[in-house]
Amino acid sequence: MGLITCEELSKSRGGENALNDISFSINENTITGLVGRNGAGKTTLLKILSGLWRESSGKVHVLEEHPFNNLFVAVNSIYIDDQMVFSQTLSLKDILIEAERFYPNWDRELANRLFEYFQFHPKQKHGQLSKGKRSTFHMILGLASRCAVTIFDETTIGMDHAVRKDFYRALLKDYLTVPRTIIISSHHLEEIEELLEHVLLLKHGKKLFHLPIDDVKNYAIGLTGRTEIVRQWVKNKQIIHMENVGVNSSYVVIKNDPFDLDQARRLGISVSPVTPSDLCIYLTDQEQGRIDDVFK
Amino acid sequence: MHLSTDGTKPIYVQIAEWIETEILNGNFQPDDKVFSQYKLAEMFTINPATAAKGLNILTDEKVLYGKRGLGKFVTTEARSIIVDKRKNQTLKGLILEVALEADRLDVDEEELIEMLKLTMKKQKGDV
Repeated sequence: MGLITCEELSKSRGGENALNDISFSINENTITGLVGRNGAGKTTLLKILSGLWRESSGKVHVLEEHPFNNLFVAVNSIYIDDQMVFSQTLSLKDILIEAERFYPNWDRELANRLFEYFQFHPKQKHGQLSKGKRSTFHMILGLASRCAVTIFDETTIGMDHAVRKDFYRALLKDYLTVPRTIIISSHHLEEIEELLEHVLLLKHGKKLFHLPIDDVKNYAIGLTGRTEIVRQWVKNKQIIHMENVGVNSSYVVIKNDPFDLDQARRLGISVSPVTPSDLCIYLTDQEQGRIDDVFK
Repeated sequence: MHLSTDGTKPIYVQIAEWIETEILNGNFQPDDKVFSQYKLAEMFTINPATAAKGLNILTDEKVLYGKRGLGKFVTTEARSIIVDKRKNQTLKGLILEVALEADRLDVDEEELIEMLKLTMKKQKGDV
């Protein structure tokens, strides 16, 4: 059994199913990427896993416990996002001290080093930080708490590119030092894919897949060529995405299988890999048309 | 080495090839210990499971051998295995590409061989 397991987990919010019959299991000490479009249910899922929200139905286990209202899960897990609220009377340094009192595995040295590296001032107030600085501070809390279950929900919002790179590297280095179970939700899969062992993709509150990153990379292939030739070739194959490029050419993404790709190439079709990031966009595309249709 | 992330070559294959090149360059000798999956993960900022996959390919190909609890080591025949593999797979693949492009450009066999000879001379610094 995994360290985190969900069975037929559902959550209704405002009359809609934010999560719909989700089942999966995450093993101990792995890094999982949670992806999906806005409103797919990522935050709902993560808040249930960290015990902040209660599920409507189904089973959820984290560290072999039911997470909601559970102190054991609370001290051994941390949920980080860009909306964390702290008392206005606390300085940044005070927040670190309070966090140390709460989290048993807190690493003070790591917290202080990151605090200095990212040039925070101890007397600064959380509310006065810029968006990017706030995200960076939250990241420090997430890493230094060294919780068995560490959840980053869109934590890189507002960070500039250099800080995001630093964050990914800090996360990986600290994970190598103190292995733990990490879930990162992000809209930038291309930035985090090398850190991940698994990817969990949600769409409209349902699980589309939960796969090792290498399987995601091999999930689909892209074919480009003259429209009539490509369309003929992809007949009876599982089409994920199709678009016109140029005048008479098409780009078609199909689910990968051991196809005779040399045959396709001989017909003048060029075959290319489909990045996990693009794949997730194609798989979660809206059914009712694309952005171009709005401008028709 | 800089990892290419455009998806044309899996990261674990790039890790395996990098270690192979280190062996070919003599930076790892037979019975030397190579980097652990954790060291590789740290070096290239990748998941250690990905790095382990690269090491496992080389173990399956008998370029590396494992000692329980101690890590992975270079086999005596590592070099010849790598040379053999690269000749039969990489080099032959490149030659196929060259042959196809030459055909598209109507470059005949003689001209192609002349071009190849010239390139090899330049490479050795004779020209």
